[in-house]
Amino acid sequence: MSKRNYLVLLRSKPAGGQPRPSPEQMQQMFAAYNAWKEKFKDDILDMGDKLKTQGRVVTASGVADGPFVETKEVVGGYMIVSAENFERAVEVVRACPAVHAPGASLEIRELEGARM
Amino acid sequence: MSRPSHSRGPGDPASPPGLVEHYFRHEYGRMVAVLVRQVGLHHLEAVEDAAQGALLAALTAWVANGIPQDPGAWLHRVAHNRLLGVLRKDRGHQHILASAADLGAENGEEPVSPAFAGEVRDELLRMLFACCDEKIPHESRLVLALKTLCGFSTGEIAFRLFTTEATVYKRLARARERLRQGEVDTQTPRLESLRSRLPSVHAVVYLIFNEGYLSTHAERAIRAELCEEAIRLGTLLATHPVGAAPPTFALLALMHLHAARLASRQDATGGLLLLEEQDRSLWDAEHLRQGASWLARAAHGDVFTRFHAEAGIAAEHCFAPSFADTRWNEIAELYAMLERIDPSPIHTLNRAVAVAQGQGPRAGLAALDGMVPPAWLDGHYLWDAVLADLHHRAGNAAAAERHRDQALAAAPSTAVRKLLQRRLTKPTL
Repeated sequence: MSKRNYLVLLRSKPAGGQPRPSPEQMQQMFAAYNAWKEKFKDDILDMGDKLKTQGRVVTASGVADGPFVETKEVVGGYMIVSAENFERAVEVVRACPAVHAPGASLEIRELEGARM
Repeated sequence: MSRPSHSRGPGDPASPPGLVEHYFRHEYGRMVAVLVRQVGLHHLEAVEDAAQGALLAALTAWVANGIPQDPGAWLHRVAHNRLLGVLRKDRGHQHILASAADLGAENGEEPVSPAFAGEVRDELLRMLFACCDEKIPHESRLVLALKTLCGFSTGEIAFRLFTTEATVYKRLARARERLRQGEVDTQTPRLESLRSRLPSVHAVVYLIFNEGYLSTHAERAIRAELCEEAIRLGTLLATHPVGAAPPTFALLALMHLHAARLASRQDATGGLLLLEEQDRSLWDAEHLRQGASWLARAAHGDVFTRFHAEAGIAAEHCFAPSFADTRWNEIAELYAMLERIDPSPIHTLNRAVAVAQGQGPRAGLAALDGMVPPAWLDGHYLWDAVLADLHHRAGNAAAAERHRDQALAAAPSTAVRKLLQRRLTKPTL
């Protein structure tokens, strides 16, 4: 059965106000992410990347600085999950340690595969 | 559809190799120490931010690509570059960039990585001595060491010291302020020239140890952590010319001998156990061995410090075949020596307990005869608990009961109260 690809967008509240993780907590997070990556290694197509906070927004009327800081959530990263169906993709993403970060949400969007 | 294999980093096995326990925390301390050496103590905050940022970067990069071949060098490079970036932004810091040879490396050039463990050890020790600067208030030295050298966050320090995060923050701020005011030349004194601070360093290391050892924290792992940190710093000190002296060896012996018994101080439900109730087979053989070895080294030379006396007492307990076969008279004598070096009614109280074990409760009471406890001890549970016990064993029922009630009323925690109840209601020994 062929797999479908899903783009996962990591959203979080703009930084600030939240205490930074301690080195010990970061090591625990590292272990948690590694365990997750290992468990779902056949489903995680691309670990993706974090996005820098600075950006530009291009429209027909010009170029503006973005993303807009007044928005409640900013996209902080992405990854690509490969799964048989949506249920499996949700299962993979729900187990991701990033889900437990305060104020975080992960949006899963199936890729159409139009260019495959 | 074929699954493209994404790069997993060099030599990445199926499951990434784990990092040793507290790797991030200790590497944080190493980064801070090395970078502070390069840019000076007055930039401590920027240095700490850079170290924090490097670990955060590692978190993402290492999950995606695996742990690099030399994770320490990777972290130092990232932290170094981050610090460089921050300092470059501020034109006022140009002279630092110019004077710090390592930081002067132009773009693309690798910073000098602390390749030799010995080099990093020097920097860690320098940072430890910096934390014990006379200019820094006493209560700030401990938190500064825990923050910079041990890599604890303010929240973690507050949790371990039973205080608020705001208090820890204030103490750190005071320490950093003093360091900022310091002369720029504080960044380059020879390590040997800091030797006069050794007593202050010993005090801070022992304080870290006792925060763990004497803590009534429910979780043993939390308490053991501070003891391990103190032993780590003490070992660093004892194995370097700047600190390799009998008082350091005695302190290290003392910490090992106490740590050996850490696991046996609690029963299965977390209740505190008396020395005579402890299962001696639980005592940690490696700590005992280390303790004995450092104590032997401490015996060289002609100084006898409070650490020598305390390590001697701990050794008597640790190497006695049983509670009954403990050499109580030796212990009483060591407490008497401790009283002469560091007069404290607590030592007198402990001596009385040892005398009572060796020569009977009346001899113990005689040792306390005429002693007027200072205000802080009068009303402390220990004072009343010892008197209750000695009077009870000497057959003075009324005095025993009075002190017992006062001890129970003054017990600082449920665990201590339970212990007192068990101990002070026992039939006469």
